Amino acid sequence: MSAIHVDGLDVRFGETHAVRAASFVVAEGESFGIVGESGSGKSTVLRALAGLNPDWTGRMEVLGTAQGRQRPRSFYAAVQMVFQDPFGSLHPRQTVDRALAEPLAIHGLADAEARIERVLAEVQLGPGFRFRYPHQLSGGQRQRVAIARALILEPRILLLDEPTSALDVSIQAEVLNLLAELRLRLGLTFVLVSHNLAVVAHMCERIAVMNAGRIVEELTTASLRAGTPREAYTRQLLLASRGYDRAAAAQFRTFD
Amino acid sequence: MSAGAAPLLEVDNLHIRFHTRTGIVEAVRGLSFTLGREKLGVVGESGSGKSMTGRAILRLVPPPGEVRADRLAFKGQDLLTLDEVGMRAIRGRRISMVLQDPKFSLNPVMTVGDQIAEAYRLHHKVGRAAARARTIDMLAAVKIRDPKRVYDLYPHEVSGGMGQRVMIAMMLIPEPDIIIADEPTSALDVTVQMQVLAILDDLVTQRGMGLIFISHDLALVSSFCDRILVMYGGRVMETVEARALASATHPYTRGLLACLPQLDDPAATLPTLQRDPAWLGR
Repeated sequence: MSAIHVDGLDVRFGETHAVRAASFVVAEGESFGIVGESGSGKSTVLRALAGLNPDWTGRMEVLGTAQGRQRPRSFYAAVQMVFQDPFGSLHPRQTVDRALAEPLAIHGLADAEARIERVLAEVQLGPGFRFRYPHQLSGGQRQRVAIARALILEPRILLLDEPTSALDVSIQAEVLNLLAELRLRLGLTFVLVSHNLAVVAHMCERIAVMNAGRIVEELTTASLRAGTPREAYTRQLLLASRGYDRAAAAQFRTFD
Repeated sequence: MSAGAAPLLEVDNLHIRFHTRTGIVEAVRGLSFTLGREKLGVVGESGSGKSMTGRAILRLVPPPGEVRADRLAFKGQDLLTLDEVGMRAIRGRRISMVLQDPKFSLNPVMTVGDQIAEAYRLHHKVGRAAARARTIDMLAAVKIRDPKRVYDLYPHEVSGGMGQRVMIAMMLIPEPDIIIADEPTSALDVTVQMQVLAILDDLVTQRGMGLIFISHDLALVSSFCDRILVMYGGRVMETVEARALASATHPYTRGLLACLPQLDDPAATLPTLQRDPAWLGR
């Protein structure tokens, strides 16, 4: 059984056709990456998957269950999301403890005490962080809290939307290491959305490249690293990711 | 830089501190460098003092910030003792600044062309028609395809990449000697980023300007600039030739390089940066 099966996903916002016939399959325990530039539709795919964007057409199966517009509570126990901006995704007037207790209350889970302590240890934050407010935490620590909040329901799938792009590179390394380690230990399935090819290649085995709402190509990380993508768009993205090169920049064109 | 001539910019022992309720925050501690007609990268993580350094050169550090230095000079002219009138003649005209996000740095209720023309007319005594013609030339110089049409667009009608080109056009039109670019391409997509950098590169090289390129992206800066200043905690850790970045010696620079995921060199776990209090001289 695949963890996620998306077939012919279409999302429109009025006149804008944000996602056009996107299809992909993610196996259980796999880490799947979606890369693209801004406006490519990569985050919209993730939000539609998470049930945050009810206006979509197509077929979507998660852990063997077909999904509609409304998601049952059991869906959220299995699928959780981590957002880009740890400064915006935590309630400024709630302590870490309150942020972590809320999903437990919603899902009626007992032994909150033990679960909160365990999940904080899992994201390598000591018990001293439990009663702090977000403004008392650094960006990296906040993102760890956001990951803890996603993990506390013991989900099987984590949807990660640019989880490290608001962080300094040294902190990014720590958060990526933590995510990789959690996936291995808890047997999680990841869908990671990022504009950074190197980050996606580091975290994922398979990558979908999106442009202007379409998945232009799906390729393995090995093929990306070897520099042998099929599509010209992907090759250009790869070239641009390797740093500034005056001659290369002159040849860039717009794909649509 | 030709031998004997005064460098474009001299900064010696620059300190920036903020007196806050909870004590004194030292944003920059004892920074020194000189700038010639070159591309100098200033790299550091958030809180390293890199942006404050850029602002201090233009005397734009907001209160309660306090700037001290043994010397801060533009072409031999002391910027620390210059009065406000003199400073206004420097800002924009001789030293200009490109900021990170065109969405927040352009005036939303003025067409982009009029904003650029305003920057020109502020420093040059010319009529409207002449300024308009000059602006259209400048828009063409930053590779905007249909400059006459774009002149009359408002900032919300242009894309991020085009907005940043408009900013660059506005900063270049008074023909300054130094451009300070604070994360000029960080809000842009990677391919657009490269195109904007190519424009900046060409203009800086053709006009023989000095560029201070402030960025958090060590890999990008090393491929774009001639020389790199690596900052941490308000101090310079080391200055390296961009080409020789791979052989940088300071553990902070090496740590920053190592913790980046590499496309060519996969690693199961990324090395994390171990910070040494000794770097801050404490």
